[in-house]
Amino acid sequence: MNEIVPRNVKHKDNRRLGISVLSLLPLYIFTLLFVAGPLVYMFILSFMQRAEVWGVVNEFTLKNYAGIAEPIYLKTFLESFKLAIISTLSIILIGYPFGYFMAKLSAVWRKRMMLLLMIPFWISSLIRLYGWIIIFRANGVLDKVLMGIGITDAPLKLLYTYPAVVVGMVYSLLPFMIFSVYASAEKLDWSIIEAARDLGATRWKAFLTITLKLTLPGLLSGVVLTFIPSMGLFFIADIMGGNKVVLVGNVIQEQLMKAHNWPFAAALSVVLMILTSLMILLYRKITHVKDLEGLV
Amino acid sequence: MKNRTKLPNIFLGVVTVVFYLPILLVILYSFNESRISSVWEGFSLKWYAELFRDKALLEALMNSIVLAVLSSLAAAVIGTLGSVGMTRVKLRTNGLIEYISTLPIMIPEIILGIVFLTFFSLISLPFGMTTLLIAHTAFCIPYVFILVKARLAGMDKSLIEAARDLGASEFRAFLDITLPLIFPAIASGMLLSFAMSLDDVVISIFVTGVNTNTLPLKIYTQLKTGVTPKMNALCTLMFIVTFLLGVLSVYIGKNPNSNHQKEERL
Amino acid sequence: MKKLFAGIIALSLCLVLITGCTATKAGGTLTLFTWEGMFPQEVLDGFTKETGIAINYNNFDFDETMLAKLEAAKGGDYDLVIADDYIIETVIAEGLAQKLDKSRIKNFANINPVYQGQFYDPKDEYTVPYGAGVQTIVFNPDLVKIDIKGYKDLFDPALKDSVGVIANYRVINGLALKVLGESYNTEDVSKIEAAGKKLLELAPNIRVIKDDNLQDDLISGEISAAVMYTSQVTAAKLANPNLKVVYPQEGIGFGIMANFIPSKAPNADAAYEFIDYILRPEISAQCFEWLGYYSTNLAADEKINDAYKEFLTLPADFKGNGEMIRTVGAEAEEAHTRVWTEFKAAAGQN
Repeated sequence: MNEIVPRNVKHKDNRRLGISVLSLLPLYIFTLLFVAGPLVYMFILSFMQRAEVWGVVNEFTLKNYAGIAEPIYLKTFLESFKLAIISTLSIILIGYPFGYFMAKLSAVWRKRMMLLLMIPFWISSLIRLYGWIIIFRANGVLDKVLMGIGITDAPLKLLYTYPAVVVGMVYSLLPFMIFSVYASAEKLDWSIIEAARDLGATRWKAFLTITLKLTLPGLLSGVVLTFIPSMGLFFIADIMGGNKVVLVGNVIQEQLMKAHNWPFAAALSVVLMILTSLMILLYRKITHVKDLEGLV
Repeated sequence: MKNRTKLPNIFLGVVTVVFYLPILLVILYSFNESRISSVWEGFSLKWYAELFRDKALLEALMNSIVLAVLSSLAAAVIGTLGSVGMTRVKLRTNGLIEYISTLPIMIPEIILGIVFLTFFSLISLPFGMTTLLIAHTAFCIPYVFILVKARLAGMDKSLIEAARDLGASEFRAFLDITLPLIFPAIASGMLLSFAMSLDDVVISIFVTGVNTNTLPLKIYTQLKTGVTPKMNALCTLMFIVTFLLGVLSVYIGKNPNSNHQKEERL
Repeated sequence: MKKLFAGIIALSLCLVLITGCTATKAGGTLTLFTWEGMFPQEVLDGFTKETGIAINYNNFDFDETMLAKLEAAKGGDYDLVIADDYIIETVIAEGLAQKLDKSRIKNFANINPVYQGQFYDPKDEYTVPYGAGVQTIVFNPDLVKIDIKGYKDLFDPALKDSVGVIANYRVINGLALKVLGESYNTEDVSKIEAAGKKLLELAPNIRVIKDDNLQDDLISGEISAAVMYTSQVTAAKLANPNLKVVYPQEGIGFGIMANFIPSKAPNADAAYEFIDYILRPEISAQCFEWLGYYSTNLAADEKINDAYKEFLTLPADFKGNGEMIRTVGAEAEEAHTRVWTEFKAAAGQN
C-alpha cells in the first residue's frame, strides 16, 4: 500500500485489523493461560530437588539435567529418535499415496473413505492393538494362515519384536498423515497437471514439479503430526514390543510413577521438547517451506 | 481427472482392509466364551449381558462422548479462528503463540497430566468436566490449527482482497470465502480431535473429578486385573453405532445444496 | 452434513445438561477408588440393593496416580481406597488416612492374622487387607526340559527367548538380588548395581516384560516360563492344569492390597458399611474367586470353591522366607530405575 490512499479506504484498513484481532484473542488467551502456565511450572519443576520418598523440595538444582547425561538415558533418546524416524518414513510411504489417491476419488467416495478411516480410530487404541496381538502372536491368525497355506511350518514369533512395534506405530499414526495429505491434496487443481501432461511432461516430472510442491504443506503437517507423537507414544512399544524397547516416554513414566522423581521426569520432558522442536525446525529448513513460517 | 489404472484404488482397498483386520478380530473375540483371549472356548453373548449390567461403564461412555464432542468443537473454534487470524494480522508474537499452542502434542502425556493437575489445583479449578474439557481442548487445538494452516498456505489470498474491494466486510469475507475453502481441514481436524479425546486416558486420569469417569479410563485401569472381553463387546457396539451414524451422514450429505456446489463455483 | 453436525451438537448439549445434574440418591453414595475389576458386579449390586447406597466407582492405573490425586484432594473426595501396601505407608505418613473405628466393623475378626501387623500399618489402625499376592514362577513342563526350582534356573540358556516377566521393577530387580542372597529392600547402591549386572545375564532369555495378562502368553505358547502375579497364576492354572507353579527357593516377594478411608472422606459411614459387607465369609469368597489373589479373610477360606482353593490360600509351609517389598530411599530408587532401564534395553537386543 502506498501513501496516496483515499480516506475511506484507510478507514477500512483500521477497521479490518480490529475484527481480525478479535479472532486471535481466543487462541492467545487460551494458550497463555492453560498451556503456557502449566508448561512454565514444568520448567520450574525440572530445577527442583526431589523429596526423599514423595514430592518435591523447594531447592534449586541442576542435578536433574546432569542426570540425563548417563549413557543409558542418552541411549534412550537415540532409540526414540530411531523409532520415530523409522515410523515416520514408513507412514509417509503408505500415508502419502493414500491421501493423494483418496483426494482423486469422486466426492461421494471421498466422504466414505474419510468415515471409513475415522470410525476405527474412535475405538480405543489399546483394544485395537490387542487385535494385532491376536494376529501376531505365536499360533495366532497370521501363523495359522501362513502354516495353513504351507509357507511356514513353525510359529513366526513376530510378537514382542522391533518390527511389531513399528507396525503398531504405523497403525496408530497413519490416519494423521492421510488426513493431512488429503486436506492439502483435495484442493489441488487437477487441470494444472493435465496441462503439464499435454505440454509433454512425463507423469513423474509433473508429479515432482507440481503435485509434490503443492501438497508439501500437507506432507509437512503430516510429518509434524506423526513424528512428534511417535517420540512420546510409549505404550505401543510396551504392548507390541513386550516392554523391551525403551523410549523416553517409558523412562519419564517410570521416573514419575515408580521412582517418584518428578523433577527428573520434568527435566527429561524439557529436553525432549527442545529436541523435538529442533528436529521440526531442521525439517522445515531442509524443505524450504516458506509458507509455513511460524510453524516452529 | 480419471484414474488411468486401477492400481490406486487397489492400493486404497488393500490398506483399508489391513486397517480393519484387528478390529474384526476384536469384534470376533467379543463373542469368546473364555475370559482369556488366547483361548477360544466357543460362541457366547455373556460379555454383552455383563456390559449392559455395568451402568458405570455405560455412564463413562456417555461422558467420554460428550467430552469429545465439546473439546473438538472448542478446539475447532479456537484453532480455526487463531489460524485464520494469524494470516490476516501479522503480529510479531504470532510465531511464539503458535509454537506454545502446539507444545501439548510434543510432550509425553504423562508429564502433561501431572503438570495440569498441579496447575489446576493452584488456580483452584473444580476437578471434573471443566478441567477435563480444558485439558482436552489444549491437546486438540494443535490438530485443527496445523491442518487449517496447511490448507490456508496454498489458498489464493487475492480472493479475500477482491472480496474486500467489492465491499465485503472482514467477517463476510471469512464466512463466504475462507470458511468453505478450509472446511475440509476443519472437519479433518475435528475428527482427529474427537478420536484423540475419546482415547485419552493418561491426562484424563489426572484431571478428572470424582464423579466423572471416562471410558478409556475404565479400560486402561483394568490392566492390573486383566482386560476382559466385556471391553471388546463395548468396542464392538461403539463400532456398529458409529458405522451406522457414518452411513447415515453420507446419505444426508447427498443434499444438492452442499459444499460441493460452492467449491465448483470458485 | 452441516445439519447432522448441528443435530449432534444439540444432542450433546442436552446430554451435558442431563449428566451435569448430580442426582442425590436416597441412602447416599460410596465413592470407591481402586483398579477396575476388583469386585464382581453381583457383589457391588448386592451392596446397593441391601443398603440403598449407590457406588461411584472411580479408577486409577498406578498407586502413584492415586496418591497424586488424593494429595490434590487433601484427603477428601474419596470414601474408600484400595491400593498396594507400600503406597499406603506413604499415605499414612502424609496424614491422608483416618484411623478406623473397629467397633463399626463387626466382621473385623474374620481377617487372617497372617496378613496383619505388617510394615505399612503395624498396629492395624488404618487398614483392612483385601487380597494378597506372591510372585511365583510358572512354567509349562511340555516345553521346558529343565527342572525349575528357583530364580537361578531362569538364567539357563535352554530358556533362551522364552521367559516372560511382569513389569514390576522391584520384583524383577529383586529376583537378581535374591539370587545374590540380598534383601529386596537393601539401600546399598553397590548391591543393586551388582544385581543389575546379574540381570543382564538374564536378558537374552527374556521374550516379554508386561503386567497385563501375562498368563495369556504362557497359555498360547508364546513363552514357556514366567514370573507372574498371583491372579495371573490362578487364571493360567485354571486354563491349563498341567502348568507347574514353583515357589522360588531363594525367597519370595509378598504383597498385600488393603482398604483405607481417606482422612476427609465425605461419606465414611458408607465406607464402614462396605468394608463390613465384603468381610462377610460368603461375599469374601466370591470376591477372591473373582480376583484370583490370596484370600485375606480366614472365615471365607472354607467357603471357597474347591477348584480354586489351591490358588487362593497359602500353602502350609509358606512363612519361611517371604519378604515384603517396601519403599526404599531416593538413591536406591535411582539405582533401581537405572538398572531396570538397562535390563529392558538389553532384553530388546534379542
